[in-house]
Amino acid sequence: MWEWWQKNRPLLLCAVLLLMALLWYSVNLRQQDETNFLEGVVLRLTGPVQSGLSRAITGAADIWGHYLYLIDTEKENRVLHENNRKLSAMLAENDEIRLENERLRRLLEFKDAQEIETLPARVIAEDAASWFRTVTIDKGSERGVVEGMPVVVAEGVVGRVVRSSPRFARVLLVTDASSAVASLLQGNRARGICRGKGERLVFDFVLRQEEVKVGDRVVTSGMGGVFPKGLVVGEVTSVDRQKFGLFQAVEVVPAVDFSHLEEVLVLLRRPQ
Amino acid sequence: MNRTLFYFALAGIAVVLQTVLLPPILQGDYKPDLILLLVVYLGLHEDRWRGGLIVYLMGWLFDGVSGAFPGLYGFVLLTIFLAVRGIVSRVNTESSVLLLLLVMAGTVLQAALVSFALDFFRQDVSVLSQIAWQLPVQLLLNFVAAYFLLKLAVWLQRAFLPRSKLPGLRKLDSRYEA
Repeated sequence: MWEWWQKNRPLLLCAVLLLMALLWYSVNLRQQDETNFLEGVVLRLTGPVQSGLSRAITGAADIWGHYLYLIDTEKENRVLHENNRKLSAMLAENDEIRLENERLRRLLEFKDAQEIETLPARVIAEDAASWFRTVTIDKGSERGVVEGMPVVVAEGVVGRVVRSSPRFARVLLVTDASSAVASLLQGNRARGICRGKGERLVFDFVLRQEEVKVGDRVVTSGMGGVFPKGLVVGEVTSVDRQKFGLFQAVEVVPAVDFSHLEEVLVLLRRPQ
Repeated sequence: MNRTLFYFALAGIAVVLQTVLLPPILQGDYKPDLILLLVVYLGLHEDRWRGGLIVYLMGWLFDGVSGAFPGLYGFVLLTIFLAVRGIVSRVNTESSVLLLLLVMAGTVLQAALVSFALDFFRQDVSVLSQIAWQLPVQLLLNFVAAYFLLKLAVWLQRAFLPRSKLPGLRKLDSRYEA
């Protein structure tokens, strides 16, 4: 027995180690909706770096886009180009400000239309892995952001807060595989659940007899206790009504362009 | 201690690259998994207990910036590390080609473990089809990232530490090629 133990000890200890890690993961699944101490520390440590770098990148991208690419032509006409460059940079900067203004105005109009108190926030980082869809925002529990709060933009639903530290929070996007939003079709009020599937969503549990058409708008039903009723989730892009089964397969494209997500609104209401 | 801090500094840089710097360049949801490269490297050159602890803590660090499942990457990265440790005595750890192959195998193993941990423990979450769909691009990205990082590491070592050598990178260095 002792010899067997001596021979297989590394293997057994590795197995025990792995089992403990797996057990710890499964125990943590129960407290999945709360930010634990380690996650809070990581958010606090990485948040300022991500925020600073995000601003630096935006600045550098502006310089690259609006200034540096003109350097070659400067040789042709130095004086004229100098003026042109300044004007171009100003114009581009104005364009950027105008676009930002438009975005913020839409957000503000949407904010004014909301009965719930809202908090604007900036997206500073994306998820570290390719398999998951989360973003980090620059507002946290100091400003009242807690786990479970819905996050939106003027176009529709973005996701919900899953982790928060005093100054930063992480938002699980509706396109993440672990995200589920209680939804309904705006036209015929057919109910279902929108689940994330990478870049798209699937509208699950829609009964076969319901009339669903491509282009139908999907909105939140307010049943899940997280999102208020009537927020746009997306638009139906394909419907597959099979011959058998209770439900039909409906695919939805999100209303929000997640690849260009810059500013968001956190709805400051606690999940019910 | 210094080496441990160095590994965590590298992990921190990898996290910043993956969350802030690379997404605007790659313009999509895909990003190379630099932490995985680090875990494979640790598997080849660190002992089981010390390396295992470092990797498990790195997994927790990664969980803090990815997904919504605490402990998931702790388990996944530790498994990959121990799997690499399991074969290390049977292979030539000085071969950089081996490192590239292990990164590819590690990517597949990571995808399988994430699918298992989510689909098995959380019945309401199904990521298998999504991960299977994304896997080829992820493999390619990780391979390219590993290749260029190895080249960069050798170049940096030659430029700044010419008398020393980084373990596991001998065969990439042309000084050793006959």
